Amino acid sequence: MTLRRLLILAGLLLVLFLGMYTWNQRTRTMDGIAINFGMEIAGTMLGTIDAIKHSLEEYWDRYFDLVNVRKENEDLRAEVAAIKARLRDNAEDLRELARLRTLLRVPAMAGWRPLGARVLSGRFGPNAVLETVTINRGYVTGGRPGTPLVTQNGLVGRILRASPHAATAFLVTDPGSRVAVLAQQSRANGILVGRGTENTLEVNFVRPDDGLTQGEVLLTSGLDGKYPKGIPVARVLTVERSNYTQFLTIEAEPIVDMRQLEEVLLLEPTGDLQPDGGAAIPHGQGGTQ
Amino acid sequence: MTGVRNIFWWLCFALAAVWAQSRLPGLDALAAGIIILFQERDYRNMLWLLPVFILIQEGMGTRFFGGAIIWYTAVVLFFLIGHWLFEVDTFLFVLILSASLVAPYMAIEALMAPLQQLPFQPMQSLDKSVMQAVFLPFAWQLLVWSRRLLKPRYSMTP
Repeated sequence: MTLRRLLILAGLLLVLFLGMYTWNQRTRTMDGIAINFGMEIAGTMLGTIDAIKHSLEEYWDRYFDLVNVRKENEDLRAEVAAIKARLRDNAEDLRELARLRTLLRVPAMAGWRPLGARVLSGRFGPNAVLETVTINRGYVTGGRPGTPLVTQNGLVGRILRASPHAATAFLVTDPGSRVAVLAQQSRANGILVGRGTENTLEVNFVRPDDGLTQGEVLLTSGLDGKYPKGIPVARVLTVERSNYTQFLTIEAEPIVDMRQLEEVLLLEPTGDLQPDGGAAIPHGQGGTQ
Repeated sequence: MTGVRNIFWWLCFALAAVWAQSRLPGLDALAAGIIILFQERDYRNMLWLLPVFILIQEGMGTRFFGGAIIWYTAVVLFFLIGHWLFEVDTFLFVLILSASLVAPYMAIEALMAPLQQLPFQPMQSLDKSVMQAVFLPFAWQLLVWSRRLLKPRYSMTP
């Protein structure tokens, strides 16, 4: 093949590729095919690997690694007793909250049903340019795009792309992530911006007179319509006055360690109103650690 | 190598590669398989494996469809260029190939990021491409050894 023919062939292939790329940007057809087949294949493989790994770990833990089990059991019993006592204390507060909500007729939020999922991998492959994790639930099994992800400590992110049985979730630490937040004590509103897993988060649009202080916990405000209200997201690290803008310069750290994710909860909106004024967040989601 | 054993080997390879990619963000472990396919001139298996590899990378990625196609085109192109100049079934060749793939890896990152309005992070891309360059020769060597285990008189050329 002469050089001229080679160049013509390369040019034709380039035009073909660019045509496919722009067509896909408009229709997302190829993305859909890749997600439905590629993510499904990879998700199945990762699920198989995960299952093998867990069976081996369980076998090891159950039959070999029994050092300190008695001590751990005693500690856990003490912890359960303490949690039971705290639940008893909180039960009265919850009843009071329900009574007050009814009294004030505060509109209740739509209910959210928690659904457990296992994290199969972090960013996967050279094409994964955003801060994401892959989970073992897809749009058939409750992991539809947009579904929020939480752990027992706080917010993780939301589902970006989903195949039938696996999904990719976008983390709040990604530089493209924006979450409407509310400070727990001062009730100052702001926008939480990600800056990468290795970096701190940034809180924008908080005025100096809002009274935000160091150490405060930031909760989702629900104003963005993406997350239910009241999920802990981050803790304020520094609050400084800015020389350039009318807003404060605030750094925060995520409550959830994104590098140690193993299991998450998906919050599926049920669409139901909760007339009893029950918590919109599943049990165990509201606390901070 | 018989057909069934070959397919079994490729399935095991795909599982191991997917596991490696889940542990090392940004790594393409499947590229080592493509080099093996070209070295063995196993075009029959390439016909189904290459689309599967592309679908896996595109499906699990967060870019618009197309990045993996350019990346694998670069791998094949560099392999074919190297094929005219070197003996392809040596560790040295794979070492040179993987080192030279740093440039297209970074070029693809730089090219695709603005198309999706994402910031191009040169240092992060360099880290990933160097990790890819270091990984590829050793993974290839392991794969060659494992193929020799399946077939003791294994030769790359059919």
